[in-house]
Amino acid sequence: MSHIITLEQLKKTLADKISSGAQVVAPTLRGELAFFQKIDDVNQAVLEPRVRFQNSIKEFFFPRHETIFSFVRQGSDVQLVDAPEFDVEQIVVGARPCDAASLPILDPLFAWDYQDRFFQSRRAKSTVVVFACKTSDAHCFCTAVGGAPDSTNGADAILFALDDGSFEVRCVTDKGKALFSGKTQESDKTGAACAPPSVDFDVEKIATWIRGNFASPVWEEISYRCVGCGACAFVCPTCHCFDIVDEGSYSKGKRVKNWDSCQTVLFTLHASGHNPRATQGARQRQRMMHKFVIYPDKFNAKLCTGCGACSRSCGVSFGVRPALEELAKVANQSENN
Amino acid sequence: METELRNAIRKLLEEKTVDVAIGYGRVGVNGAVGATFVTNPDDVDRLVWNNECRQNLATHLTRAEIKKLGKPAIVVKACDARAVVVLCNEAQIKREDVYVIGVVCDGIETADAAGNKTGALMGKCLSCVEHAAKNVDLLIGDEAAAKALDEKNAPNAKSVGHYEKLAKLRAMSQKERFEYWREQFSKCIRCHACRQNCPLCYCNRCVADKNRPTRIDTSSSLKGNFAWNILRAFHLAGRCVGCGACAAACPAGIELDLLNLTLANAAEDQFGYVSGKELGELPLIGTYSPTDKEEFIR
Repeated sequence: MSHIITLEQLKKTLADKISSGAQVVAPTLRGELAFFQKIDDVNQAVLEPRVRFQNSIKEFFFPRHETIFSFVRQGSDVQLVDAPEFDVEQIVVGARPCDAASLPILDPLFAWDYQDRFFQSRRAKSTVVVFACKTSDAHCFCTAVGGAPDSTNGADAILFALDDGSFEVRCVTDKGKALFSGKTQESDKTGAACAPPSVDFDVEKIATWIRGNFASPVWEEISYRCVGCGACAFVCPTCHCFDIVDEGSYSKGKRVKNWDSCQTVLFTLHASGHNPRATQGARQRQRMMHKFVIYPDKFNAKLCTGCGACSRSCGVSFGVRPALEELAKVANQSENN
Repeated sequence: METELRNAIRKLLEEKTVDVAIGYGRVGVNGAVGATFVTNPDDVDRLVWNNECRQNLATHLTRAEIKKLGKPAIVVKACDARAVVVLCNEAQIKREDVYVIGVVCDGIETADAAGNKTGALMGKCLSCVEHAAKNVDLLIGDEAAAKALDEKNAPNAKSVGHYEKLAKLRAMSQKERFEYWREQFSKCIRCHACRQNCPLCYCNRCVADKNRPTRIDTSSSLKGNFAWNILRAFHLAGRCVGCGACAAACPAGIELDLLNLTLANAAEDQFGYVSGKELGELPLIGTYSPTDKEEFIR
C-alpha cells in the first residue's frame, strides 16, 4: 500500500505552511530559467521534477551572503550585536536528490572544530522534500559517487511524480511524516525514478591516481581553458568556502560572510604577493583534491554528489565531470603501464 | 571550413610560426564546445568550427598560463576580432605577437537550460553586419557569402535581436527600468564569470577585488550586486565590442549583453564610435574631439 498526495493537496499543504509563518522554498521560473526561491504564494512554485536549476538549495542553509554581527561605534565605545539565529520553520520542496545529499555531507564540516550555529540552526529548522528524478542529462553522474535518482540521503521525504499529476509520498524521517501526516490517501499506485545515469569512469581509481600525482603536468594541461571564475563553486551544493569581510562605515556596519571560490587568484594570494597556488592548474587540482581526497580523508564522504551543476553552468564547458573524464584517461594509462 | 581551419593551423604549428593555437574543441560534457589549446600539429583534428562556438577566445590571450605557452594563433569570429583590436589599442598585447585567424560566421545559436542548441540565433547575431572578421592575418570561409549576410541584415540591424530588447527597455518608465534591472541583478551570485569570460576585463586586480580599502561591497546583496554590475558596465563603456561572452557565461542568466549594449549604443549615437573597428584607434574615453557635442570641452 502506497501513499498518494494530489498536486492540489501538496499546494494546500505548502500554502498552509506559508500562512503559519514558515519559510517555504520551492522551484520557481524566472524568465525561462528555474531557481529555488523563497515563495510568498504557492502558485509561484513549479512543482515538477526538473534536471536543471540555476542555483542549488545550498543557499537556504549556507546563504551566499550572511551577517555574523553588526557594530555601532559611539565615541570610544563599540557596541556589537550578534545576528539573530534562524528561528522560523523552513520547508524546502522540489529539491533534486543530489542536491539534498549535500546536506549530510556538510553536517560534519559545520560541526567540527567550530559549531557553526548559522548552518546548524537552519538544518534543525528545515524539512527537505525531494522529487525523485524523472530524467537525467549528460552532466549527471550521481551513480559514480554513491547517489541515485531516488536517493533519500539528506531528504525528509521523497515524492515520485505520477502520470496523473499526483505524487507518491515516501516519508524518510519524523519531520517528513509530520509534514505529510493526514495529507495523503492510501493507494495501490507506486512511482518510480528514471534509470540511473551511466558513467564510464571509476572515481575510486581516479582518487588513487590523484593521491600519487600532485606534480603531474596533467593538471595544467586540463586547466588551460578554465578562466578562474567562481561559477562552478557557487552553483555546487557541496562547495562551502567563504570569506569574512566588514561592510559599512567607520561608525556603523556589519561583519558578513560571503561565498568564496578556490578558483580565483585572490583566494590564496598572500599579503607578501606570493601565491602558493600560482596557476589555474594548481587551483583545479585543489578543487579535485578537496572533493575526492582531502574531504573523504577528513570526513569520510566525497565532496561531490554528481549533480552536474558545475559543468552545466561553466562558460568554457569544464566542470567536475569533464575533469574526472580527463583524469580517468591518465589513471587508466598509468594502471596499464 | 573546419578542414581548412585545421590545415592552416597545422601549417602554422609545423612551421613554428606560432607555438600554440587557441581554438574551439568539443571538450565538454556530451561534446559541448569550449576553448581548446593545440601545441602539437598532430592534434589539430581536435579543433572544430560550428554555430556552438559561443565563447570569445580572446579572453585567454591575457591569461598568464596561456602566455607561457608562447606565441599564439587565435580563432576569432568578427565580434571576437574586435576584442583583439581593443586589446592591441589598449596596449595589452602587440598585434604582431598574435596570429589572428578569422572565421566567416553566419551566426551562433543560443543554448537552452540543458546546454543544447536551440536553433535560434543569439541576439547579437540577428543584428550582425560583420560576418567576416576584420584585422586578421588569415580569413577562413566565403567572404562573398559573409558580405551578402551583412547586406541582408543591414536594413533592420538596429531594430532586431537585442536592439529590439533595447527599444523595449527604452520604452519603459525609469521606475519600470529600475525594476527590470533590480530583478536581473537580484539573481547575481558574484561568481564573476562575466568578468573572467570578458576579453576586455583584463585588470590584474579588479576594483571588485580591492580590499584595502574595499571599493564596492563584495556581498551579493542587492546593493553589492548593483554596485558590481553597474560598475562593470561603466568600465566597459565605449570599449565593449558586443560579443556577448558575459551573458553567455552567466550562470544566473542575467542579460548583461543588454546592459553593455545600452552604453555601446550611446557611444555610437553620441560620438559615432564603434569599439574595436580599427587598429590604432584612440579609445573613446581617453580622448576628445572638437566635434564632441558638449560645449564644456571647448
